[in-house]
Amino acid sequence: MNTEGKTEILRVSHLEKSFGSHVVLKDINFAVEAGDVISVIGASGSGKSTMLRCINLLETPTGGQIFYHDEDITDPKLNVPAYRSRVGMVFQNFNLFYNMDVLENCMTGQVKVLRKDKKSAQEKAMHFLKKVGMEPYIHARPRQLSGGQKQRVAIARALAMEPELLLFDEPTSALDPQMVGEVLDVMTDLAREGLTMVIVTHEMAFAKDISKRVIFMADGLIEEEGTPKQIFEAPQSAVTKEFLSRFRGV
Amino acid sequence: MISEMNFWERIVYLLQQYGVSYLKGAGTTLVIAVVSTFIGCIIGFVAGIIQTIPVDKRRDSLAKRGLLKAVQTVFSIYVEVFRGTPMIVQAVFIYYGLSQMCHIQLGMWQAAFLVVSINTGAYMAESVRGGIISVDPGQMEGAKAIGMTHVQAMMTVILPQAFRNILPQIGNNLIINIKDTSVLSIISIVDLFFVHKSVAGAMYTYFESATIVMIMYLIMTVCASGLLRLWEKRMDGDAAYELADPMDIGNQMNKKGGEKLR
Repeated sequence: MNTEGKTEILRVSHLEKSFGSHVVLKDINFAVEAGDVISVIGASGSGKSTMLRCINLLETPTGGQIFYHDEDITDPKLNVPAYRSRVGMVFQNFNLFYNMDVLENCMTGQVKVLRKDKKSAQEKAMHFLKKVGMEPYIHARPRQLSGGQKQRVAIARALAMEPELLLFDEPTSALDPQMVGEVLDVMTDLAREGLTMVIVTHEMAFAKDISKRVIFMADGLIEEEGTPKQIFEAPQSAVTKEFLSRFRGV
Repeated sequence: MISEMNFWERIVYLLQQYGVSYLKGAGTTLVIAVVSTFIGCIIGFVAGIIQTIPVDKRRDSLAKRGLLKAVQTVFSIYVEVFRGTPMIVQAVFIYYGLSQMCHIQLGMWQAAFLVVSINTGAYMAESVRGGIISVDPGQMEGAKAIGMTHVQAMMTVILPQAFRNILPQIGNNLIINIKDTSVLSIISIVDLFFVHKSVAGAMYTYFESATIVMIMYLIMTVCASGLLRLWEKRMDGDAAYELADPMDIGNQMNKKGGEKLR
């Protein structure tokens, strides 16, 4: 995928989200261009996941706008399923469909949503399952897999929809430490290939390694945004410094 | 004469004389129970699905929300009324009431299917709703995230899992229905209990006939729960697989050709 001649895919503008009187997101502004790999870091409760969920409309924003290309996705008239089929999401808890095997998990969206025929859906699913190294398990059920394997299948399922943008919501947070590596390896490959990704993560070394840009969130706001070098080596804000000091030496 | 026989002789005598009647009665009981459980499940699924349709205040029109609310209210009332009154009274109420009030003359059979079905439906509605709610919310989010509509997500992801969740409830209802169809004798359905009443009344062999009928009911219910257990097991797939070492799954699958899992 070509990262030249930047096209803006997503622009978040003055995004706000509150649950009742509890304000989670105050004023979020940033843009995602084609080929971007953006890591979102920050303490628990800073609103990272909520922001990601707003982008996929799993949460309804209470203020501001999100533009997908030039379309405002907060418009109530938006065809939400069609939008979601182009913006993939990988969850902390995998959310693989338990009533299907691995292959079916990667085919059902293509068949039901994209209306592909079974044969080409299966080819595509196999292609991505191979890519994440889960090809030997195509007929296994999700509950027969380890966490790392489940997450790799979940990534293949999202990729099989060929999304323009892929969102990752703490993809390694629910994994045993020894399984984190296999998932990060897959994601690193995807980043190298130029897939546009927004990754909410606690893996600082990984964020530093693969991101084009890093967003540091604190208290419902973007505290600081920049290249990994800027954020990790020369943070400007005192809050960022304080947060990162806990990860020094990682 | 029958008055000179002992207990076992009387049972044999009753079976010789009325065995066919007992079997026919049991057949009627089974047909009503199975068919009505099936129809009741369909009613229950419709009600349960409607009760769990989410409403989005921003995206759904007022008319749609109003209609949904109205339908949901109707179903709530239906559930409360039929769960909250005895089936024996419902049978009388519907069988005689419909002919008197609405001049609809239902046949006994129609009335029997109707009463047991809507009764089962009322119980199943709550079970289905519970079955749907108990599916991990992440499943719905996963389905939505790949662009499925609510209907698509329900049909392909949620309902198959909810169905597995409520299979024990369906079994429960089937067993209850096998037993509770006995109250339909009040509208002259010739089920197993009706046969018992007739035989016992004619021959003064209450205890003996009741023994026969008890055993017949028990055989039917034990078979029903056994069959449902089997079905549950089949849906769950190979239990040994769950425990398999993940490194070993590939090997096992090759042995089985990967087909058995499906």
